[in-house]
Amino acid sequence: MKKIIVENLKYKYPDTDQLALNDVSFEVEEGEVIGIVGQNSAGKSSLCLALTGLIPHFFNGAYGGKVLIDGIEVKTSTITDLSQKAGLVFDNPFTQMTASKYTVYDEIAFGLENIGVSREEMIERVDWSLKMMGIENIKDKNPFDLSGGQMQRVAIASVIAMRPEILVLDEPTSQLDPQASEEVFRVIQQLSQEGITIVIAEHKMEKLACFTDRILLLYEGKQIDFDTPQKVFSRDDLHDYGVVPPIFTTYCKAMGMKNKNNNTYPVTLTEVSSLLGGENNE
Amino acid sequence: MTLYVKQDSPIHEIDPITKVIYALVAALLPYILPSHTVALIVLVISIILLVVGKVFRKIIPLIGLSLFLIVSLVIIQGIFRPDNVTPLFHFGPIIFYKEGLSYGLLLMLRVINLLCAFGVLILTTKPDDLIQSFIQKGMSPRIGYVIGSVLQLIPQMSATIATIKDAQRSRGLETEGSLLVRIKAFLPLIGPVIMNSLISTRERSIALEVRGFNAKQKKTFLHEVHTYKYAKVIQAVLILIFIFAILWRIFL
Amino acid sequence: MNEIKVENISFSYTDGQPVLSNIDVHFRQESTAIIGQNGAGKTTFVKLLKGLLKPATGNIYVNGMNTQEYTVAQLASQIGLVFQNPNDQIFKHTVIEEVMFGPKNIGQSTEEARQNGLLALEKMGIVHEADKNPYDLSLSDRKLVSIASILAMKPPIIIFDEPTMGQDYLGKERLKKIMKDLRAEGVLVLSIIHDMDFVAETFERTIVMNQGKIVLDGPTREVFSHEQLIRDVYLELPHATQLGKQLGLKQTFLTVDELINFNRKKQ
Repeated sequence: MKKIIVENLKYKYPDTDQLALNDVSFEVEEGEVIGIVGQNSAGKSSLCLALTGLIPHFFNGAYGGKVLIDGIEVKTSTITDLSQKAGLVFDNPFTQMTASKYTVYDEIAFGLENIGVSREEMIERVDWSLKMMGIENIKDKNPFDLSGGQMQRVAIASVIAMRPEILVLDEPTSQLDPQASEEVFRVIQQLSQEGITIVIAEHKMEKLACFTDRILLLYEGKQIDFDTPQKVFSRDDLHDYGVVPPIFTTYCKAMGMKNKNNNTYPVTLTEVSSLLGGENNE
Repeated sequence: MTLYVKQDSPIHEIDPITKVIYALVAALLPYILPSHTVALIVLVISIILLVVGKVFRKIIPLIGLSLFLIVSLVIIQGIFRPDNVTPLFHFGPIIFYKEGLSYGLLLMLRVINLLCAFGVLILTTKPDDLIQSFIQKGMSPRIGYVIGSVLQLIPQMSATIATIKDAQRSRGLETEGSLLVRIKAFLPLIGPVIMNSLISTRERSIALEVRGFNAKQKKTFLHEVHTYKYAKVIQAVLILIFIFAILWRIFL
Repeated sequence: MNEIKVENISFSYTDGQPVLSNIDVHFRQESTAIIGQNGAGKTTFVKLLKGLLKPATGNIYVNGMNTQEYTVAQLASQIGLVFQNPNDQIFKHTVIEEVMFGPKNIGQSTEEARQNGLLALEKMGIVHEADKNPYDLSLSDRKLVSIASILAMKPPIIIFDEPTMGQDYLGKERLKKIMKDLRAEGVLVLSIIHDMDFVAETFERTIVMNQGKIVLDGPTREVFSHEQLIRDVYLELPHATQLGKQLGLKQTFLTVDELINFNRKKQ
């Protein structure tokens, strides 16, 4: 069964004239990693909110179409039910800390207490989360004494402790320095290897190209393309949508260096080097 | 930032609800029975509890802070209380009367007693344990969250306020100096503080939503708030003392 | 010519834990990026330049004014600082009033402030939003408002704190152009920044900070040629530089256009 099904999704925030999401339709398989790209106000955040039920249940507004998360329909479910299917992490680490707990351990357990998980199960899940995020060494620290990167990993740990099989991330590294960003991307890849379906909205094209299976390109709320990174980034008209491909792709496009098999350009450094390596061997 | 002090003591072992009842009874008793003896006895008991709890040292700065209020209470009562008749001593032209000083002393004992009684509660109880106890007794978990989070968010806010002050000073706003200068600086400083709080609150409520904050299920708790063996006994005794005191006051 | 002289300064928030030690640097003309991990001391350093903090030892001269001897407000006409979070400064009901606040504080007349404000908004591409409430704009547009509010003060020295955070491609291109225009007008432009590609494409000089010290200081191209040192301080090379190395080229490339032109000439 498809993990995520979006069918003709339309949405308008209250008291606005423009549609924030305009007829978006796509399906995601279990275990896939999907990147969402587009200029600011293209609808990336709105889509992330729609996948987790905050649109329409928190923001209200005008909603049309259908979103099915693991078989259950967003429109007729509660945010709480959906949070155990799809977790949401967003860009500000600070506002994702509840502030009502004094240790990282308790912070991660917060959501589990809310949904009535038994104590033994709670401990098991929190320990697993800590291990997944590589933050066992800070489990007794106060969340507000952490660096931005550590806080963001605690935020992710807190969300995955609810054991959703889908994780939605809205620009999770935009406020982090390069090293902390790298840690977050590494952790996301690890989660993907555990079988978790990932949807991540980002501006860092070079990073997205490395570990996404498909890229969704949005513009003014509309879906422009949904295909492999190679296909999407090889398009000629990305600039019209306020997006640039990874630098490696820009270079290859200018030099006419295409991938052998499928008429697309390389999108990662590795692809560039294998292309060159291949050429050198001929 | 909390006043809680982690120590290994029998007072820390006592459950939060019992300590709450103690704090209320101990603080109110000298008001119900306005006698120096009662106030002193209760105060001594609270101090003993603080010492056993190894937190006595922490109450001293708090008393120190309110010392100004306390001393001024004594002085004002000593000089100006309406039913002052018996002069006790002179200080230049000012006369201190026995009745006033006596009453002032009572007030002082009440205030210090209040601080110590609540000190027993606040210095030896973890805020989240206290809130959890209330929730287990039926308080709405949402209210519990609000109280709990405010304790940490207010100190965090001071960092934001400092940044806002820096940002506005960087744009040429003077913040030190005459009263007029300070009044002019008020809006540019308070505006962003309020907006920042509103925005953070909104973002935080989204984060809470996706962590099941509005779940309809019954909550569970990671930590067991220890129940104290003698909790029921102590609570019963305290409530009896309270009732007894009220009856004494009414009928005697 | 605008300059900042930093003479052997040290600073710590709490005794015994120096945040900055023996920093000695001279800023003059060239647009300069300040890069380094979080906690390296960049923000503290910038606050010292702005006069928000005073050095424990040493002196800082901003266009001849010793920061120890003036208040922040007095220095504001010489050196502007664009803070990271626009929500930390916006308090007026319309964009144009917000942008006029700084200029009026430093002595511009209302008319002058309005002119400079509108000009600044035009440069940021948001003059059509002048009468809107800043909080009705998106966060990235609000960031542009906060930049405009410093530009309108026309300071000869401007420091940016993470200007590219949360910006998309078009936003960054606009920022690049603004910084280059400012540089052409003779304004001394400094910036704390994490986006290595933006640094490589925009700044003439780069300073690398680590644990309260300056570990590299020089022309941007030269700084990014020290691959190992950059990695040692937990930073990355710009992607164009990485690509150049992958292609086996000896030089340090800063932009993909440079690489393309170089290889085209070879062919």
